[in-house]
Amino acid sequence: MATAEKPFIRQDGKDKVTGLGRYTADLDMTGMLQAKFRYSDHAHARITRIDTSKARALPGVFAVITHEDVPDVRYGPFVQDRRLFAKHKVRYEGELVAAVAALTNEIAQRAVELIEVDYEPLEIVSDVEAALQPGAPLLHEEWASYGASEDVVREGNDCSRSTILKGDPDKGMAEADIVVKERYVADMSHAVPIEPHAVVAQWQGDRVTIWSSTQVPFIARSGVATTLELPEAHVRIVVPHLGGGFGGKCEFHYEAQVAALARVAQRPVRLVFSRREEFLAPDHRREGQVLELETGVRRDGSIVARRGRLILDNGAYSADAPFFPQLAAMMAAGPYKIENVFVDASLAYTNTTPSGSVRAPTAPQACWALEQHMDSVAGQLGMDPVEFRRLNIVKNGDEGPTRQVFEDIGAAETLERAVELIGYGKELPDDEAIGVAVGWWPSFGIASGAYVKINGDGSATIITGAQECGTGAVMALPLLAAEILGMEPESFSLLYQDTDAGPFDSGASGSQTTFNNGRAVMAAANDVREQLLDLAAEQLEANRDDLELKDGAVSVKGSPTKSVTIPELAEAAHGSTLLLGRGADAVPEMPASDAAGCTGRLGMESFLAPTFITHAVRCKVDRETGVVRVLEVAAVHESGRVLNPIGANGQVEGGVVMGIGMATLEGSLLGEDARQLNPHLLDYKLQTASDSPPIHIGWVDSPTKPGAGGPKGSKGIGEPPCVPTPGAIANAIAQVTGARVHQLPMTPARVWEAMQR
Amino acid sequence: MSAQSYTAATSVDEALEAMATGARPIAGGTDLVVGARGGKAPLPDALVAIHRVSELRGIREQEGGLVLGALATHADIVASSSACELFTALADASAIVGSHATRTAGTIGGNVMNASPAMETGGPLICFDAVATLRSASGTRRVALTDLFTGPGRTVAEPGELLTELAIPTPKDGTGSCYARLEYRRQMEIAIVGATAVVTLDGGTVRDARIAITALAPTIHRVAEAEQALNGSDASDAAVHAAADAAAGASRPISDVRGSAQYRRAMAAVLTRRAISTAITRARGGRFPIPASPALHGAVNGGAA
Amino acid sequence: MRYDATLKVNGRAYPVAIEPGRNLLSVLRSEVGLTGAKEGCDDSECGACMVLLDGQPVNSCSYLALQADGREIVTIEGLAGEDGDLHPLQQAFLDQGGVQCGFCTPGMLISAKALLDRNPSPDEDEIRLALSGNLCRCTGYSGIVRAVQAVAEQR
Repeated sequence: MATAEKPFIRQDGKDKVTGLGRYTADLDMTGMLQAKFRYSDHAHARITRIDTSKARALPGVFAVITHEDVPDVRYGPFVQDRRLFAKHKVRYEGELVAAVAALTNEIAQRAVELIEVDYEPLEIVSDVEAALQPGAPLLHEEWASYGASEDVVREGNDCSRSTILKGDPDKGMAEADIVVKERYVADMSHAVPIEPHAVVAQWQGDRVTIWSSTQVPFIARSGVATTLELPEAHVRIVVPHLGGGFGGKCEFHYEAQVAALARVAQRPVRLVFSRREEFLAPDHRREGQVLELETGVRRDGSIVARRGRLILDNGAYSADAPFFPQLAAMMAAGPYKIENVFVDASLAYTNTTPSGSVRAPTAPQACWALEQHMDSVAGQLGMDPVEFRRLNIVKNGDEGPTRQVFEDIGAAETLERAVELIGYGKELPDDEAIGVAVGWWPSFGIASGAYVKINGDGSATIITGAQECGTGAVMALPLLAAEILGMEPESFSLLYQDTDAGPFDSGASGSQTTFNNGRAVMAAANDVREQLLDLAAEQLEANRDDLELKDGAVSVKGSPTKSVTIPELAEAAHGSTLLLGRGADAVPEMPASDAAGCTGRLGMESFLAPTFITHAVRCKVDRETGVVRVLEVAAVHESGRVLNPIGANGQVEGGVVMGIGMATLEGSLLGEDARQLNPHLLDYKLQTASDSPPIHIGWVDSPTKPGAGGPKGSKGIGEPPCVPTPGAIANAIAQVTGARVHQLPMTPARVWEAMQR
Repeated sequence: MSAQSYTAATSVDEALEAMATGARPIAGGTDLVVGARGGKAPLPDALVAIHRVSELRGIREQEGGLVLGALATHADIVASSSACELFTALADASAIVGSHATRTAGTIGGNVMNASPAMETGGPLICFDAVATLRSASGTRRVALTDLFTGPGRTVAEPGELLTELAIPTPKDGTGSCYARLEYRRQMEIAIVGATAVVTLDGGTVRDARIAITALAPTIHRVAEAEQALNGSDASDAAVHAAADAAAGASRPISDVRGSAQYRRAMAAVLTRRAISTAITRARGGRFPIPASPALHGAVNGGAA
Repeated sequence: MRYDATLKVNGRAYPVAIEPGRNLLSVLRSEVGLTGAKEGCDDSECGACMVLLDGQPVNSCSYLALQADGREIVTIEGLAGEDGDLHPLQQAFLDQGGVQCGFCTPGMLISAKALLDRNPSPDEDEIRLALSGNLCRCTGYSGIVRAVQAVAEQR
């Protein structure tokens, strides 16, 4: 791309470095009230009485609402199993029972405490395996009556089951020379954006505007419309600057409750989460997993069969997790050539905060287990773990777990480059080692739209439904339009963040912004380009086919003096027909697969434009304390064609450090009452600047065929960087200590305990 | 947060006057305000801010030792060459409290009177025989740090008493010291296990050893059995190991989100051993970076364990 | 009861009347009207609220506003020159990819300024240690560290 060479400064950058940019919690309005929630007092209980009278009587309280004050609507993207407020039962500690709007936070808090709720406590289910045992207490007794997508396979506490079957795994396993079976457990963890959730709602007549820290404004709009029974046209979601998301702010959260409060109070209402609430009620956290993996290999190192049994934690309600079992099953099969595969994955209801997409959902945990398992198998074979992967990794023409045939991929190249970048095999001190892990991740093809208009002075504006969450994906859209229009990216303004302005987009989720909205912006830019050329042909009295558009002007090929600039064309257009482009490119087709033997098919039976990643990590392990320091990371990604190197590198740097956090320290612990024991940053420890190592980044350029991927053959970039990091670190730890850590996060205590066995 | 009244004292007498009527002192706020925000304890009803009381500031040398004003910050201690040379374990401790912002705002007086069993500076102050001066409207008394702490968050100080300074006698020649903490991250940690060693060598013999353990019991305390194992010894590895094991044996750790009792007890031995070894290295005149803890975990740029 | 105080923020005096329990962050964000400093946690762990108080970095969420009476406070809004020119650190954060979501950026820039004020030429590890009280979830800190290094090298 012509503009890729010079540093591209993001348009929202100056607003952010000066502190002038507004985030949702920074908004203030005349008469604005503050919202507080009353959460469940139990992780599992029947509600026998709710009395809000004392709270209502408190001076300064304008609204107290419960399930009685909103339509009785169940919602959920795959399974409609929840309400805005608990009605008969509470199923996790962060469930909402009531909400208050009051003059100040202090009054609202006092009012919340004055709400009387009586409960009849029920047996708590917090362990995923116990949840699926026969006779386990049902979280949702009425599960069978819930509305749900027909492809979701459900039974009692198993909210979504999915299987992958390829070949004859029993026969394959019987033919293997060596069979290795292992069990791994991953604890739940969190997205932890530095900005906690915030929502402001204000009504104008029967229409509501909601400012929300959401990654997905259109999905939030549809959630509000569904639960408050409003037409979507009556709900406008505006997203001020968004202080990170990582999936934690995907889907529909508290927009409807705050809007309901504002309607009752007849005042604007603001909700700002504390960090504690961000842990207890994020409504989207990374799910825990239990994984049993079994692999059969021949002496030559080829894998003949893989079996897997996975149980994922859904939490108390279904956010978007019902498609996780199928995704996790693909992850457990891995980017390897295996003729015989059976993976059986379930999603168990438990009395914990709901799971949902957090950066590459299911993948870092499943990859961590699988890649440790791969090293274990290599160990049993007496084979170098890199050599073992080299033998089995998928290449062009190979088939995936559902017989998807891979084309234009560079998985093996990522492995070679990563081991080269880290210096695999070099002499190291005896408390250091290099671990390697390979991962993969799909791109998501989803409908998306954009407009491009040329302003009267020849500058331009992109109007998009895409949402920026910090990655810079929206900020980079002008690069794509500028190239098509022969303009500078700096001459574009961007309008996004507003559901009443841009066309639909599924938001800052699924690494999909450039992939889908990038194509839409290019289509819109091409639409305007055609209009510019038509107009120029008229103005220059030239044949349209003889024209070329570059460097801000249209000229006749071969006679550069015969030209008209875009500003001149824009001025002319503003005297007659405006230059307005629209774009909504078709969604790429899913690659063919044979999923005949698979159940619970929710769109993950093949991977569109899959990205492949190898991380090689050099770690130092303090054998006496179990403290692990990551010294150096080589991260090599094949993401098709990279369009914006600064942005792409930023995603890798951030994702790797998130992966280090997941590997070493990030996990929520639950008490016997199923309450989180560490819902604060002192004991849920993120990586600091001093923990973060140098990261060597490599890109394997392997563009998809036109129509099979994103713009110019690109693939999703944002999520993959955290996928293989925990597995690579695990393998380095095992190399140093000789002991495998079977639970994630691999805290110092767990590393130490593994060494005591 | 519930505070109702506020005065800003400009002298110790003004502060004591406010405290006599029930006000609680506040300096950097890094314990009190954080605790109130986190829901640990609401702010006291009446506050007297002491940050302007200049007589409480600074670190000064006086005959026979060093005096830390109650308002001396952790950053002040780390910047003090006397503290680093003579009371190295204290500098080790102050240098790893929270972040840089915590160290510039957090004072030694607040740190001590907050009486957390996980406070970094407690072990070093106890081992160095620090003496706290407690003043109230009715008089002044001096309390050895060993006698100050009575439980988590509790001290022998009466409600009207203000810690004005800490006096620490200069250690004998041949003394080296170290505070070592278990660190999951390289910064922003809280002590899960900590150990202090102050070792005085006479030729090759340990003449005096002080060992204290942190976050391993309701209060930070010295461990006599560990000290006995070292005293009179030749500071050999065997003696150091014996002392470290004795420290672990004397610990009464709890199991919580930060670690199991079993792990903490095992780490008590490891950290105590590392603290003693480093103290001995320093007593022998060897250089070891301040703070010691990061280097003792095999830090990226640090020395050997 | 409210107490009168004068907060000197970015060179301008703000007379305010505030309750004793109010922290500096909340007063900066409401009475003073500067929302650059952010609230990211409950326990002084994230550093998003960091400001300079008499030149020293403090977490304004855990500092009583009344204790800042009469003292010099610099927030992120005070970093750029009066002519609107960005501070070299601000420009470097943009050039080096040190900004993504931007929520940690105000505190991070304050922390970086405090570091360079006390040590104009820190090495990489000193930079990483000094910025450890400011959590960033987007960048992995690489771009931020590069930015501070770039400014340190210019000096």
